Amino acid sequence: MGQTGHAGGPLFHIGPVGVTQAIVTTWGIMLVLALACWLGTRRLRLDPGPAQVVLEGALTSIDGAIRAVLPTQSQRVLPFIGTLWVYIVVANLSGLIPGVEAPTADLSVTSALAILVFLSVHWFGIRAEGVRAYLRHYLDPSPIMLPFHILSEITRTLTLAVRLFGNIMSLEMAALLVLLVGGLLVPIPLLLLHIVEALIQAYIFGMLALVYIAGAIQAQQLKRQKEKE
Amino acid sequence: MELNWSTFVLEIVNFLVLVWILARFLYKPVLNAIEERKASIDNTLTASEHARVDAEALRRQYEERVEDWEREKETARSQLVEELAAERARSMEALRAQLDQERERARVVEERRVREAIQRAEETAIAQGGQFAARLLSRLAGPELEAHIVDLLLADLQELSEDRLQAIRTGVAGEAAPLKVTSAFPLTSRQREALVGAIGKLAGREVACEFLEDTRLLAGVRISAGPWLLCADLHGELGFFAEAARRGQ
Repeated sequence: MGQTGHAGGPLFHIGPVGVTQAIVTTWGIMLVLALACWLGTRRLRLDPGPAQVVLEGALTSIDGAIRAVLPTQSQRVLPFIGTLWVYIVVANLSGLIPGVEAPTADLSVTSALAILVFLSVHWFGIRAEGVRAYLRHYLDPSPIMLPFHILSEITRTLTLAVRLFGNIMSLEMAALLVLLVGGLLVPIPLLLLHIVEALIQAYIFGMLALVYIAGAIQAQQLKRQKEKE
Repeated sequence: MELNWSTFVLEIVNFLVLVWILARFLYKPVLNAIEERKASIDNTLTASEHARVDAEALRRQYEERVEDWEREKETARSQLVEELAAERARSMEALRAQLDQERERARVVEERRVREAIQRAEETAIAQGGQFAARLLSRLAGPELEAHIVDLLLADLQELSEDRLQAIRTGVAGEAAPLKVTSAFPLTSRQREALVGAIGKLAGREVACEFLEDTRLLAGVRISAGPWLLCADLHGELGFFAEAARRGQ
């Protein structure tokens, strides 16, 4: 179980930059994932072993989910969306390890992820449609809608960050309180709920990011299709 | 719940680095492996499709060949049936001809067998008749019958034709030895004189006769002079009868 220092100070400094527990955990997660990917993909064969089957199954599932929403450009967004899912799942579950705080229980981390989603939406939208065509969709169906579009962009980014942070932080807080009040084994059902919640929140975060990106890419395409029809 | 900007920035950097790491070490190799497998499966499917097409072509070729074979078989079978029918007809004809020949041969053999059987039956009947007549005449034979036969001989000698007379003369003339007169019973002197006189008259000269007895003659006399023989006895007559009957067949 992680510590409750969600707003805790830095563990150490690298120059002027303070390194918090969340960053250290993130590095650990990156190291584990990199090592696991390197080991798992060293000897890929046409006749796969059990580990390769698991890897291919997971990646095929991610690719299938992306294709269901964005059939034409799934390869382009797969690294970003896939990494969101993988990282958030592992980060959420890392809170189950005693002494480790889930990075997603830190608002700075979830805000960084939400900002990345916000930027990626515009990045993929501009790459697909061009700057002028992409920015034009903020004026649809009427320029009056521009403030609402901007407000929508801000609020959905904010909700992304707060939703993930709130769920994970509250779960860890609840588990800590039950542990303090009930004893050592009492929070176990709550930890099981933590696992489910970790998977659900990762899925929701990634799927919302995918929907936002798909909306940015396909908004003008759908408009052109309607005009042709 | 305050925002730590260093954490915020480092997290963005960390996440982008993680995107690169996963893209480099996870997505790219695994997707490449999946693509290779898809390509391999596609190749296998293409090869199997080619194999299926080839197999289909081979199957059609095989079916056409089988149909050709069936036609050839039917033709050969009908030809064989015709040849068998012709051969059967020839064999039946040959067998029929052979049967006719065998039947004709059997008929000839049967006819010959029947004829020989009839002939043997007739010969047996003649022999039995001769035996029966001989047995009957042997019981009837006696000096009286012999005397009567001698009388008949003397009468017949008087009525012989000129050709027979000439033959008797020729036979008796060249014979210097006395003529042998054989009878079943002893002849009386009168009978002997009558016979000597009749024979001398036939020969045209005096002849000497030697009188013998032989019971096998049953009754009557038999006169011989060298190769010439005159039979007037029952045994000889029965033999003449049998010979005449045999010839009459």
